[in-house]
Amino acid sequence: MGSPALPMRVIVVDDEELARALLRELLAGHPDVEIVAECGNGFEAVKAVTEKKPDLLLLDVQMPKLDGFDVLELVGTDVPVIFTTAYDQYAIKAFQVHAVDYLLKPFGAERLAEALARARARVGARETLPAKALVSDARKARAPIERILIRDKADVHVIPVAKIDYIESQDDYVSLKVGDRQLLKEQTLSELEQQLDPGRFVRIHRRYLLNVSRLARIEQSVTDSRVAVLQDGSELPISRSGYAKLREIL
Amino acid sequence: MHPILGSIRRLAIYLLAWLLIGLLLSVGLGVRNGNWLTAVAFFVPLGVVFALISQSAWYVCRIFPLVRSRAWSVVAAQILAAVFASAIWVAAAGAWARALEVVGLESAGVALYQNQRALLFVIGALLFWLVAIFFYLLIAFDASKDAERANVELSLLAREAELKALRAQIDPHFIFNSLHSISSLTATDPAAARRMCLLLADFLRETLRLGGSQQIPLSEELALADRFLAIEQVRLGQRLVVSRETGPGAATCLVPPLLLQPLVENAINHGVAQLVEGGTIRMAAARTGSTLTITLENPCDPDRQRTRGVGLGLQLLRKRLINQYGASDAVYAQEQEGQFRVEVRIPAVPALAEASAGKTEAPA
Repeated sequence: MGSPALPMRVIVVDDEELARALLRELLAGHPDVEIVAECGNGFEAVKAVTEKKPDLLLLDVQMPKLDGFDVLELVGTDVPVIFTTAYDQYAIKAFQVHAVDYLLKPFGAERLAEALARARARVGARETLPAKALVSDARKARAPIERILIRDKADVHVIPVAKIDYIESQDDYVSLKVGDRQLLKEQTLSELEQQLDPGRFVRIHRRYLLNVSRLARIEQSVTDSRVAVLQDGSELPISRSGYAKLREIL
Repeated sequence: MHPILGSIRRLAIYLLAWLLIGLLLSVGLGVRNGNWLTAVAFFVPLGVVFALISQSAWYVCRIFPLVRSRAWSVVAAQILAAVFASAIWVAAAGAWARALEVVGLESAGVALYQNQRALLFVIGALLFWLVAIFFYLLIAFDASKDAERANVELSLLAREAELKALRAQIDPHFIFNSLHSISSLTATDPAAARRMCLLLADFLRETLRLGGSQQIPLSEELALADRFLAIEQVRLGQRLVVSRETGPGAATCLVPPLLLQPLVENAINHGVAQLVEGGTIRMAAARTGSTLTITLENPCDPDRQRTRGVGLGLQLLRKRLINQYGASDAVYAQEQEGQFRVEVRIPAVPALAEASAGKTEAPA
């Protein structure tokens, strides 16, 4: 048994104080585990993970605003995760994002010890998993997303999709136009397009995904090309296939 | 099962009826030809005999039911059966007449029989059809009774299913989360852990008890909601604040059990628990004239990711209230600027006799 010389640095995330207290109590029985942060919500968790770079996340699923999966998507690194929840319906999804374990509340010392043993093995093996891609994969199967999560260093923005005017592709990033703000997110436009409701967001051009409710009119510019004029007056190019898609919806 | 031969009582009544028919025949046919006694001695036993012969009509009616057979096959079968039955009867009448003669009762018996054989045959056929019609009526009556019973059974089943669904409405995750909280408290605050155990037990027991009743006073429903919120308070801590207002006369009004429960659960699960800072759940009940209005208000996150299955509790409640009061607009829900509000309006029916009767069984 090669127990690691350095303690395993853990962040505990749960919106219920009593649940955190229980983990604190149970983890006290593991001298090789050090709690480096306790978080009461997803925002704190994203911040703490960014700053502390823990070895393991003990992550509740049901939390206000940002749930456990949102946190994982946002931190987007290869932090091993143990989910803790009273709901068994997320087990498959947790498996898809390669969670180390999935603890069903209520759980006791033994079940937690088992999960920690698995986590140690994972940390020891230095397994790196592209958690972000996995989370996105897991998301594809879900209903269209209603909001987009953006991490700006340690801060998190939650953008309801209805507030987005359009989204522009910028290499590996997308730029969200929200009123007079521009927000960057590390994701491809095609990926985002798949997550959004195709009845509300139309790929009018290779580089643009338009919220159709913002469209004021379509103008014919020179010869063949068309231009979308938005309600705020800004203009976006429409490709031939984009025009076909738009006509289908309107 | 034969409807008449199957029961002695019915058979007795039936035979008595035929005795009467025999007497009528005696009067109708016998009096003209001979004396009274002969006619009675001849027709009354014959009536009883035909009573038994005509029972065969039951089987004919069963084999050719009116609803599912063609008209011509019913008519043909009944004519054939009537001819057959009547022929047997007429033959029996002949034998009986001769038997009476042998006994030496009266030679007029034979004369009676000889004179009226054709008439007797027609009467036999008509009586057979009368019996057949009687059986058809009986079958139709039974069918309608069966249909009615099936209907009653169906509505009973529906009600039972509704109650089961109500009980199943206790969210298991609520229980799991509460147990997790208790587990945590056992180390840090054993007294609080015990309090929470008792609260949870009370809540579960009350939910099961109330789920089985038809109508309960609003005060009991509110007490249940209080217990639920007290448990959630332990879990959510300062994030949950509850305020409650009950206007005069509202607490004693009768409501369907577990009316508030799904609303309160929603207020927590889709409201306060989804907010980082939490918020206040406001419950109010007021009686204005003949209307009881219950309102529930809670803050919610307008940008939340809407999951499927939300609104199911409201839908179920609407359906229940339509069934109970026939009012499709009893539930009014509205979300505005991060505030969710449900209003339930039902007829105000004060519990009078029920309240005092209910007190005796309600544990203190």
